[in-house]
Amino acid sequence: MRMDTVIIGGGLSGLSCGIALAKRGKRVAIVSSGQSTMLFNGGSLELLGNIDGKAVTAPLDAIVTLPQNHPYSKIGADRIASLADRAKLLLNDSGINMEGNVAANHWRITPMGVAKPAWLTLNDHLRIDDLSNLPAKRLALMSIRGYLDQPNAMLAQGLRDLGFEVDVIEFTTDDITALRRSPSEMRATSLAKRLVSKNALQRVADQINSLATQADIVLLPSVLGQNDDTDFQMLQSMVKKPLRLVATLPPSVAGMRMMTQLRHYFRMLGGNYLMGDTAVSGTFDGDRLTAITTAKLADMPLKADQFVLASGSFISRGLVADYERIYEPVLGVDVDDDSNPDSWTSFGVLQPQAYSRFGVATDDKLRCLKQGKTISNLHAIGSILSGHDAVKMGDANGVSMLTALAVVDHIMETK
Amino acid sequence: MAERMQICNLSENNFEQCTKCSICTTVCPVAAVATDYPGPKQAGPDGERYRLKDPAYFDKALKLCLNCKRCEVACPSGVHIADIIQHARMRATEGKRASLRDTMLANTDLLGTVANRVAPIANATLGLSPTKLVMHSVMAIDKHRTFPAYSRQKFTTWFKRHAAKSQDAYAHHVSYFHGCYVNYNFPKLGQDLVKLMNAVGYGVHLLDKEQCCGVALIANGLYKQAKRQGRTNIDSIRKSVNRDKRPVLTTSSSCTFNMRDEYPSMLGIENEDVRASINLATRFIYNLVDEGEIKLIFKQNYKRRLAYHTACHMQRMGWQLFSMELLRMIPGLDLVELEQNCCGISGTYGFKKENYERSQAIGATLFKDIEQAHVEAVTTDCETCKWQIEMTTGLPVENPISVLADALDVEATRQANKIK
Repeated sequence: MRMDTVIIGGGLSGLSCGIALAKRGKRVAIVSSGQSTMLFNGGSLELLGNIDGKAVTAPLDAIVTLPQNHPYSKIGADRIASLADRAKLLLNDSGINMEGNVAANHWRITPMGVAKPAWLTLNDHLRIDDLSNLPAKRLALMSIRGYLDQPNAMLAQGLRDLGFEVDVIEFTTDDITALRRSPSEMRATSLAKRLVSKNALQRVADQINSLATQADIVLLPSVLGQNDDTDFQMLQSMVKKPLRLVATLPPSVAGMRMMTQLRHYFRMLGGNYLMGDTAVSGTFDGDRLTAITTAKLADMPLKADQFVLASGSFISRGLVADYERIYEPVLGVDVDDDSNPDSWTSFGVLQPQAYSRFGVATDDKLRCLKQGKTISNLHAIGSILSGHDAVKMGDANGVSMLTALAVVDHIMETK
Repeated sequence: MAERMQICNLSENNFEQCTKCSICTTVCPVAAVATDYPGPKQAGPDGERYRLKDPAYFDKALKLCLNCKRCEVACPSGVHIADIIQHARMRATEGKRASLRDTMLANTDLLGTVANRVAPIANATLGLSPTKLVMHSVMAIDKHRTFPAYSRQKFTTWFKRHAAKSQDAYAHHVSYFHGCYVNYNFPKLGQDLVKLMNAVGYGVHLLDKEQCCGVALIANGLYKQAKRQGRTNIDSIRKSVNRDKRPVLTTSSSCTFNMRDEYPSMLGIENEDVRASINLATRFIYNLVDEGEIKLIFKQNYKRRLAYHTACHMQRMGWQLFSMELLRMIPGLDLVELEQNCCGISGTYGFKKENYERSQAIGATLFKDIEQAHVEAVTTDCETCKWQIEMTTGLPVENPISVLADALDVEATRQANKIK
């Protein structure tokens, strides 16, 4: 089967790339081996959160200081602002309503109650623009009885440390109580599937209205709206106080919503999303990749003019480590790492870890290398790239979307 | 040592690879509507840890699993979650007799053989309210269900009378595993395949011996019978592939998935030597067009708007792309791809009284999508999805092969492929 572009990996970077290409009339297939790490997302996207342990307030200024091997440096610091605008537009076109500004980070609140710098946050989620000028004084933190994926004591303490007054208010409704029959699966996503009808939402609203009378803002765990934000809008119209969602432990409803909307938009544009299939190998001809084989299409390889490797880092198996080496398992492209396994990790899980900066090697146009030679029609994007650090720098989502769009430009320039 | 550690890390059904991320639960259509069901993570790898210690930990709620495999498609770690659940069910029901109702529903070919002989009576009787009420209360087959109508003439009878003789004249040959649905309920789909294959120069033949693939037998716990029938089928397929050099085509995604993947994993039937030769007709035809072996010429002024529904087992095989790309070759066909959600019928599951409401609740998202797609018909590769969608939405549902056969300009196609 022949496509214009085949993308390996269906997470944030693969879908951003696929959508932008499909919009420009390309025939695109995305091969996705299962759901992505977006299901761990708390409703915000990060572009650049930290450098050397210090929070970044103005990402554009900070990007200029990044080392040459950081993906942002490879794209070109001068292009970041316009790519970031395009990324935001792409999200909005997909129906994902997010606000934020690439020139100035705002703050998101983690499920543990920690404020972290963020680039974009879903409109129905809690966002703080300025920590010295809080949007409210008193918060009602609604705690769902029997729901374990929100550590309320820590979350409340974290919010108090920021200067809020917080009342933790436990509540439940019949719809929610029914879920407790299967306590191990009482998850945010299960709640989101239950709280969809007008009646179910009204019962939640009644509880909030009668219990949270003192608050300026009511916080509800992010258990609403796995397909879009209409359930949130409906609940807000029933609740007297301003309502905001706060991130829960994964799998997250916000991440599921974003992925569902991106996938839906990609399909609407005529894209082919091969869910649950895995790329297993590639066929090369000189400096070109001509086809990839997948587990399910088997003897019918996917041929294309251009290929994009967007298969993620270790957690998504875009990179694999064994006892001796780190490698990219599908195409065997070169990896930037350290040949000495002893230096891959540092003692202490919270310390900066060398392995988190490992990734596939690319040239200045983000094209992959194989045995030192550039593969002319194979780009890498997103978390699989070397030189960035999702955990310590808070740059994962920006790297995913911005490298995707930069590569789209390269592909469109290629004849 | 290092290498050995990693080799030994492999486990049956990739059970050890589960990272407890719970992503499977987010896509489970049953967990979404049934609070009694513990969800795929708990029912699968989590529960398995207990069951390995003591089989008494088996939870009866596992029978709520549809075996739709959507958990496996979503799993980022490659765990065969549904297989773990099905194996647990299999171990728990070993040696126990299935109920009369389940046996009857599962034996689609036995039921079909009897019903074909008395089709007008069977159709009329099965459609009557008193019959439905008796079935509902005595047999526990839900009264809302309409049995798919039985054809007066079996596909095989039609084939032997009207098609068999002319097939040897073609240059290329395939065998057709028609399945119970085509044979007893809807011979037209088989006739459409013959029409299509003949137009591009392929003769179509029956297998030496075909029995029901057994997908419903597995779902209803009749494993011994499923194994027996599976062996018969694989023997016939082997003869077709090795002796006659004819690959085997099907027009049902579930029969295909069952014979390719469930035979070895659920029933222990070796099929590795012929697995690649068991192919869905749309995939086979797409490949021929893609390789430039054949040409399809379609009628001019053909105009239709259809929605494609990816059946669960189709999604598990990952082949919906072939059916859709083949349909997209028809000029004038406006094809909408529906979001991949389960219709809720899952073979015989939705026919059972205790499952009816759950079955409809599972399908609700899909039905809403279909309504909003504003199409004149739905197309899907699965016959039981067809019954469910037709019953609920009132829209006709067609197999992609029938859509293609309908849109095909037979004469022009025969000429383009130089068939006399």
